[in-house]
Amino acid sequence: MFKKFALIAAGLGLGLLTACALVSPEASFARTHPQELSTGRPTCSECHGTERVKSTQKTFASLDHTTTFVKDHKVQATQDGATCASCHAQSFCSDCHGGKTAMLPSAKLGNRPDRISPHRTGYLTLHRIDGKVDPTGCFKCHGRANNEKCTACHK
Amino acid sequence: MRQHTPVALLAALVSATAFAQDINVYSTTLAQSWKQDTPNFDKATLLPVTEFLGIDATKLGTDALSLHLYGWGRTDLKDQSSIGGKNSGDLTYGYLQYSFDRANAEIKAGRIVVNQGIGNEMVDGVSMRTDLRGGFTISAFGGQPVIFKNLSSLPQLQPAYQRDFIVGTRLGWRMAKLGEIGVSYLQDGTTAAKDLPIPEPVDYTRRQVGADITLAPAAFLDFSGRTVFDVAKHPDALPGQDRSNIAEHDYKATGKILDNLSVTGTYLQRNFYAYYAGTTLPSLFNQNEKGKFSSNGLSVSWSPLSILNLVADVRTTKRETYGNTTRAGLDGRLTFAAQHLVLGGGYHKVNAFKVQLVDSLTPAYSVSHSEIRGWAMYEKGNFSASLDAIRLHYGGAYGDPNLNHKAIESEIVGSAGYQIAKNFKLSGDLSFADTPLYKKQVMGLLRADFRFGFAGKGGK
Repeated sequence: MFKKFALIAAGLGLGLLTACALVSPEASFARTHPQELSTGRPTCSECHGTERVKSTQKTFASLDHTTTFVKDHKVQATQDGATCASCHAQSFCSDCHGGKTAMLPSAKLGNRPDRISPHRTGYLTLHRIDGKVDPTGCFKCHGRANNEKCTACHK
Repeated sequence: MRQHTPVALLAALVSATAFAQDINVYSTTLAQSWKQDTPNFDKATLLPVTEFLGIDATKLGTDALSLHLYGWGRTDLKDQSSIGGKNSGDLTYGYLQYSFDRANAEIKAGRIVVNQGIGNEMVDGVSMRTDLRGGFTISAFGGQPVIFKNLSSLPQLQPAYQRDFIVGTRLGWRMAKLGEIGVSYLQDGTTAAKDLPIPEPVDYTRRQVGADITLAPAAFLDFSGRTVFDVAKHPDALPGQDRSNIAEHDYKATGKILDNLSVTGTYLQRNFYAYYAGTTLPSLFNQNEKGKFSSNGLSVSWSPLSILNLVADVRTTKRETYGNTTRAGLDGRLTFAAQHLVLGGGYHKVNAFKVQLVDSLTPAYSVSHSEIRGWAMYEKGNFSASLDAIRLHYGGAYGDPNLNHKAIESEIVGSAGYQIAKNFKLSGDLSFADTPLYKKQVMGLLRADFRFGFAGKGGK
């Protein structure tokens, strides 16, 4: 019994040492952006030019907050959330991606028409059309967990 | 037991803020009021009050340790405004985070929102990530999936019965001056429905493998996307059933042709059987529905002036069981920084030129419609104001009982706010909506924003 335990402990110890040796010695990405940013959507490449984000090997231009980037930011968020986190607190994401939500994001952010809020007040009408055009678009949020309201009608 | 998890987490985590050297608290209280008049439903007077509360407490004994909490609670002062009773609430996230100085390494524990590879989940558990030597990165998470009270009252049909444990991992490789590739795995649930003591036809377990890529060899070119495979065990296909285990292809390429002109192309394909695997709402996301969905998109972004951005876009969609559609339009945004004014607007039209008949008993109503929107936002000193108007016109709606034979939907929202103190802002919204489902509706909203602590994100 003791021999078995010793072997497991030795294996875990060696594994941990190997893992530590594999960890990159590079400094982490800044936890907050060092300079205050102006209001509105930032264009990272304006200041950083053709420079690359050292830790990710991507260009700063690929982080420019263009309309296209804002509408389709999932790859950036899923590959490297640390770059997002230097400017955005987690609560910024939760305004729209809230899991069980208290209200429509467009109602909560009624004073911010510049932000792209999904589902306006009349969306109950439009969802009958969107659901026919592209039902897969609804699935990410409403197909697995956040579907309490859906089940009221779609039993 | 599961219902008490958020309370226990909250109590444990809030007590940890006592050790924080730097705390940010942000609170938004919203009081709404409107009368609801929906055909076939009772009229109602609604007066819900909702509180959103967040805490970011950093430097908990050490610079690397921080605490992050966010949740909401609502009570209805008059009629019930939402499903689930007059009082409701949720802990959206609540976790302790340890961030290492090296290798972008971090560990999170508690209720976490996971975005790793194909995982986009809420989990009561642990997640970690680190960069490795040679450009590799690795991340992993595991725990109990957060499940909201829903679905059937029959115990074995509850997704919770099968969704007992979720685990995911991603291995990435960052190629010098080129980009990143990654592979990921996700498993949600440990026992397939067919292996339950009483086998069930609906399976809530999910097993997926994904591959993702980002290529940015130069500032003018960016290519990204992913492919997701469904690797769960399923019953054998029925004769004639066309199945693919590719759940999703989702790719995007952007070329910056000039400093002020860029073009983006997108391609998306989702196969229903594989993509809907593990759904907890099979009545809507029917795994056995025939076929797949695909779309192609193109958008051109042009900024002829530094204050003006125009985006023209077109997207064609193909759905085997319903038909093809094309959505095209133009968005614009004008930013007058000196005048503290931003203007925006757009027009889009959806054409459903080929709607198919599902069956002889189910009429296929047109989904064609157009949308026009305009908005303005002004903020100077302590004062802020905004106006936002949207109007939709549904083609062929006069014959569509789903839209109560009504062709027009419109909404206008006005908002005004005043920063009373450095950390306290009061604002109010008033909206008028005329929709096929709600008839005419006037809604008032009072918003109180409180901020304590200013050492937050986006620089100091």
